[in-house]
Amino acid sequence: MATIRFESVGKTYPNGFAALENLSLEIADREFVVLLGPSGCGKSTTLNLIAGLEDVTAGSLYFDATLMNVVPAHKRDVAMVFQSYALYPHKSVYENIAFGLRMRGFEKNEIEKRVRGAARSLEIEPLLERRPHQLSGGQRQRVALGRALVRQPQAFLMDEPLSNLDAALRIAMRAEIKKLHHTMRTTFVYVTHDQAEALTLADRIVVMKEGVIQQIGTPEEIYDRPKNTFVASFLGNPPINYLEGTLSQDGRRFVRGAISLPLPIALPVQAGRPVRLGIRAEDVDPKGTGEQLGGRITSVLPVGSDQFLGVEVEGAALFFRVGREVRVHEGENISLPVNANRLQVFDPASGASLLWQ
Amino acid sequence: MRRIFLFFASVIFLVYVLAPVAWLLSSSFQGEAEITSRPPHWIPQQPTLENFEAIFQAREKKVTYETRRAGDPATGGYIPSTARDLLPSMWNSLVVAVSVVLLNLLVGVPAAYAMAKIRFIGRSTSIYFMLTTRVIPDIALVVPFFLFIRTFGLLDHLGSLVITYLAITVPFSIFILVSYFESLPDELDKAARVDGCSRLQTLTRVYVPLAMPALVAVVLFTFLSSWNEFLLALMFTQTPASQTMPIVVASFASDFTISFAFINAAGVLAVIPPVLMAVIFERYIVSGLTAGAVKG
Repeated sequence: MATIRFESVGKTYPNGFAALENLSLEIADREFVVLLGPSGCGKSTTLNLIAGLEDVTAGSLYFDATLMNVVPAHKRDVAMVFQSYALYPHKSVYENIAFGLRMRGFEKNEIEKRVRGAARSLEIEPLLERRPHQLSGGQRQRVALGRALVRQPQAFLMDEPLSNLDAALRIAMRAEIKKLHHTMRTTFVYVTHDQAEALTLADRIVVMKEGVIQQIGTPEEIYDRPKNTFVASFLGNPPINYLEGTLSQDGRRFVRGAISLPLPIALPVQAGRPVRLGIRAEDVDPKGTGEQLGGRITSVLPVGSDQFLGVEVEGAALFFRVGREVRVHEGENISLPVNANRLQVFDPASGASLLWQ
Repeated sequence: MRRIFLFFASVIFLVYVLAPVAWLLSSSFQGEAEITSRPPHWIPQQPTLENFEAIFQAREKKVTYETRRAGDPATGGYIPSTARDLLPSMWNSLVVAVSVVLLNLLVGVPAAYAMAKIRFIGRSTSIYFMLTTRVIPDIALVVPFFLFIRTFGLLDHLGSLVITYLAITVPFSIFILVSYFESLPDELDKAARVDGCSRLQTLTRVYVPLAMPALVAVVLFTFLSSWNEFLLALMFTQTPASQTMPIVVASFASDFTISFAFINAAGVLAVIPPVLMAVIFERYIVSGLTAGAVKG
C-alpha cells in the first residue's frame, strides 16, 4: 500500500539507448494503473524500475516519501507477475508460492496458512504438490498470481500477465484480476499492449510511446478525448479513421471536397487551416439523424454481432462498424449519419489534438 | 537393411573404442609371462592378483637386484623401481583434481552468473577474452608458467599444479556455465529478486539447482583435465612429494625393465575414479555435455 511517484525519471542503457525520458507520474495508493503502448515504448522498463530490477539513471523514484533509486529489488516490498510466469521449475507449486515468504523470514505456520489461503482463493489447492511443468497455462498463471498475492505487497506489478493465455481464458482472468484488486486493496501497476485489457481493468491508463508518456487519464478520457493521433489510433477496434481536410471560415466545420461536417466545438484557429478529422469506427449510425457522410461501399465484413464496412469517401478509405441488421452490398453508394459530438480534430503536422489539450 | 548396417557399424565402433580398455583390464590380472604370450589371451588363463598386490605392498618392500632375483611377486619380477610412488602419486592427483574442481566451481559459477545475467560494461568483452585464452596451446604457456611458479617458490609443490590447472580450466568452465545460464529465462532471475533474493541467493537458490547438468559437466571436465594432465606436471614436479599419477606411471615405462602387467594394473587403478564419477553423475552427463550447443 504505497504511492509510487516518478519525478523526471530517465533510463538510459550503457549502449546509449534511452528507454525512458523525463517520466513524471504519480500512482495513488490502491490505484489500478495500466501502462499501455506498443512494444519498445518503455512500459516494461517503467515496471522494472518500480521493482528495482533496473536502475534509474536520471531523476527520482519514490514510494510514499522514501527515495527508492538505490534500494535493491529484494528490499522493496513489491510483487511481480511475468508474462512467462517465471515459476521455479525445480520447486513444487507450494514451494513456488512459499518462496517469497521464506526469503523474508516468515514463520513456518504463517507460511502454511498464507499459501493454503492463496491456493484456496485461486482454486489451485489440489495442485500444490505438482511441479510447474505438470500444469496448464491457465494453472501456471494462477500459481504466478498466488506467488505474488501471498506476500501482501505494497505494490502489485504485472508485466503482460495474460499474453500467453488463449483468448477465452484471457477474458476470464481479466475479471479475476479485477476482483483481486478489490480484495487486496493495494496498488496495481499493469503493463499491456492490449487496449481491451487496459480499458477493462484500469482506474487510469498511461499511454506511452518511445519512452515518453503520451497521455494519462481514465479509460473514458483516453478513449473520448485523445490528446494526439497516437493515442487515438492505439485505442479502438477497428482503429479510428482519419480524413485530411480544412477548417471552414467560422471554424465550426470540417471541409473536404463535397464533405462538410460540424465539429463538436468551434475552434479558435484561422479559417482554411489544414486539419485531420478523426472518426471512430462506431461513430456512424445508419438509423441516426446526424449530418451525413456519403461514399461507396468497398467491402462488407460480418463479424457476428456487427459488421465492418469499408467505405470510400472522397478518395479516402474509411472503415466503420455498424449493426448487422444494415443490409448493404459492395459497390453500393451509402450515406452514413455521423455522430458529430464524438468527432476528433488533430493538427496534421504534429498529430496533437486541437480539441483537448 | 539400413538398421542392420547401423548395428554393425556401431558394433565395430564399440570394439574399436572398448578393445584397448578390455585388454587393459584383462592383462592387469595376468602374470608377466602370460601377458607376453602369443597369441595374447583375452581371458586370463591363470588369473592373478599379484600385480595389484605388488602395488599395494610396494611401499613396504624395496626393489633391489636381490629381490628381483628372488622373484618376489611384490618386488621381484619386472616391478619397476618407482612402483612405491604409485599410491602416493594417486593421492596427489586426487588432491589436485578435487581442489581444481572445487575452486573452479567457486570461481566459475558466480562469474558465469554475472556474465549471463548482469548487464555490466565490458561484459561481452570479458566473455570473448576468456574464450580467447582457450586457443593458446598449453605448450606455449609452459615457460611463463614455469617462471611464475619458480618465482613464487612453488616448484615441486602441489600448489603449482592447482594454480596452473585453474588457469587452463576456469575459462572453459565459465564458458559452459555462461551458455547454460543464458539458456535459463531472465524472468526467473527477476522473479527471484522480487521474491526477496539477493543476487547471491538468486544464484544459489534458483540458478544452481537448475544448472545441475552444466555443473556436472564442469565437474567431470575439470576433474578429468587435472587427473590426466601430464605436461605441466612433468615440468613442475620433481620428487614423489608432488608427482602425480601420470608422471609416475610414465616412469614405469622408462625403468630398465618394463612390466606391462604392472603398468596395466596401475592403469586400471587410474581409470577407477573417473569411472566412478561417470556412474554417479550418469543421468546428467548427456544433457550437460550438450549444454550450450544451441546457444553460445
